[in-house]
Amino acid sequence: MKKILFSTAMIVILLLSACGAKSGSGKTEISMMMWGDPAELDVWNQIVTDFKTTNPDITVKVEVSDWDSYWTKLKTLLAANTPPDIFAIDAPYYLDYQSKDTLLSLQSYIDAAPTIFDGVYPQTLQAYQTPDGYFGIPRDFQTIVLFYNKDMFDAANLSYPTTEWTWEDLRTAALALTKDNNGDGKTDQYGYTFDMWDMEPGWSEAIWSYGGDIISADHTKTLIGSPEARQAWQLLYDMTFVDKSVPDANTSGQYGQDLFMAGVAAMMPMGHWAVPAYSEANFKWDVAPMPAGPAGRFTSVNSAGFVIAKGSKQPDAAWQFLKFVLSTSAQTRLAELGFACPVLKSVAESAVFLQQATPINHQVFLDALEYSHIKPVFRGYDEWASAVGDGMGAVWRGEAELNPTLDAVVLAADEVLAQYK
Amino acid sequence: MEFGLKPLGRERFWLWFLLFPTLFGLIFSAFGSLLATIGLSLTKWDLLTAPKWAGVSNYIDIFTDEKFLKALGNTAKFSAMYVPGVVIISLLVAVLMNRKIRGVGLFRTAYYLPAVTSAVATALVWNMIYGKDTGFLNYLLESLHLQPVCWLCTNNAMGSVVIVNIWGAIGEGMIIFLAGLTAIPHEYYEASTMDGANRIQQFFKITLPLITPSIFFQTLMATINAFQAYDYIYMLTRINQGDSTVPVVVFSIYRNAWFFSNYGGASAQAIELTLIVALLMVFYFWMEKRFVVYE
Repeated sequence: MKKILFSTAMIVILLLSACGAKSGSGKTEISMMMWGDPAELDVWNQIVTDFKTTNPDITVKVEVSDWDSYWTKLKTLLAANTPPDIFAIDAPYYLDYQSKDTLLSLQSYIDAAPTIFDGVYPQTLQAYQTPDGYFGIPRDFQTIVLFYNKDMFDAANLSYPTTEWTWEDLRTAALALTKDNNGDGKTDQYGYTFDMWDMEPGWSEAIWSYGGDIISADHTKTLIGSPEARQAWQLLYDMTFVDKSVPDANTSGQYGQDLFMAGVAAMMPMGHWAVPAYSEANFKWDVAPMPAGPAGRFTSVNSAGFVIAKGSKQPDAAWQFLKFVLSTSAQTRLAELGFACPVLKSVAESAVFLQQATPINHQVFLDALEYSHIKPVFRGYDEWASAVGDGMGAVWRGEAELNPTLDAVVLAADEVLAQYK
Repeated sequence: MEFGLKPLGRERFWLWFLLFPTLFGLIFSAFGSLLATIGLSLTKWDLLTAPKWAGVSNYIDIFTDEKFLKALGNTAKFSAMYVPGVVIISLLVAVLMNRKIRGVGLFRTAYYLPAVTSAVATALVWNMIYGKDTGFLNYLLESLHLQPVCWLCTNNAMGSVVIVNIWGAIGEGMIIFLAGLTAIPHEYYEASTMDGANRIQQFFKITLPLITPSIFFQTLMATINAFQAYDYIYMLTRINQGDSTVPVVVFSIYRNAWFFSNYGGASAQAIELTLIVALLMVFYFWMEKRFVVYE
């Protein structure tokens, strides 16, 4: 009986302590949630420690989840009306959250601190501007550049991609880099690969370079079926099914999606987030600008940012921390982490970012800002991207024709947009 | 099926005490969430703004939703292959494992291993086995001078995921059948041997009829599992962050709820799935009365 009493008492204590955790301390505690991996959690905890030296009364509790579970967790917490005070947002999803009144307007805070965006790359701010002001701030940005495997270029006796490259040059090089090493009739090495579902490290760059666009400015029309865009699609299609220098979706599936890291593909468009993982690759590699098309050279820029939940009980403390995220100290830590490019120009252009441990040409990521379009930000992004990505999937698996599929995909995507008008 | 001892006095207290955690969990999590899901299925809800009453419109919509109907068809096809596959193969394995052979413990463990291994991890291994150019299966086929197969291409993906799911479920089925087999008295086999029955006759005349309760139970469980199948399918057939090449109902529920801000529709699909399984169960219990032999 004693044991039962003891365990009952323990249960009661546990229940009570779970309920009472938040009250009492006299100091302000704010919670922050983001996606990322354990290395990122360590760095953010360091940033929090730095923050505490100037703001001793505010404790920030950081929680990190992987990308997929982050969004389900976040939505559940928002639905339950218990959101974290601060949470990370990917720019394409920003308007979905903002338009559903879950985010706190930061405009009054920004008006009171007018110099906060001094020295921040303007391209990274664009995504967070709404007609009603700012509801979030960027923390870092990602431009897409061309990653290439130096060993494969050397073995094929090809010169590395240059700043003069066009998509035609890329196509020629890709063909020369496609090889059947053991003569069994199967390709062992592909010249190029790209994300066939997501536009960001995938196909948006090609469409822009050929003079097309993704979506109309008022977000009512899907433009990926225009004659210019079709030229870009045709190029990628021909590389995949005529040259066979790009593996189709069924082929790439067997390498666990990342063919560059697997040492199977020689070139791939990618963002800086891949650098820490690729630094462990057992081959030499570097980065070059994306190739130019008839309409010029274009790439994609996307920024991750932080927002404050509308339901936050500590908005002032949360804002103090957001302000700190844009400080030289925090941006330097982020640059050292190596996943992304800092939004603060002075940090991005300093040795901390440009001379990181991974010896590649980091300047390419910064230069790319000059010729980049922002990854479109609009309501219903997830469903629209699924209509396009799923629809085009049949083409990339070799099951459907390019042009009729594009017609159908544009119709389906426009239907989604009509729903979110 | 009324048997067993009736608990008395102090025992009764302990019975309820020990059952309490499970019952508590069942009532509050299972029934609670079932009720909540029924409620939500009558609303339009994007998780971020307040739910709006929608009556039965979600239920009407799912009958015209091509994606859902495709998923429903896939789930039906999947179940039609998976359920008999699991029942027959795990019964055969159990019969093989029910003999006094050297290292039977090792074999039993090997068959049960998939049940205790992370589906995500094994799916990655299966992805390598199924690889079109690099996979082990096609390597085998080619060394036998047979045509390689694109196992995970759209046309074949259904069959391939059924195989993986059956492989993953044999162990649990085997345990159920082994328990049933051990309960059959030895005398029956000895008597029939004396009468000159061979092993095959014994299997069909003695083992099979006496194991019908286990077959019934296993069919029931396999059906429920078939309608909930999701993890291997997600891992093996999902296209990047998008759809699956063989989307099943649970996959459709997941995407509608978390990607398309359609929690109400997803709830309606979940209820629909539950109703189908419930109807099947009614049918099974009707079959049980006619075909299942209890000693």
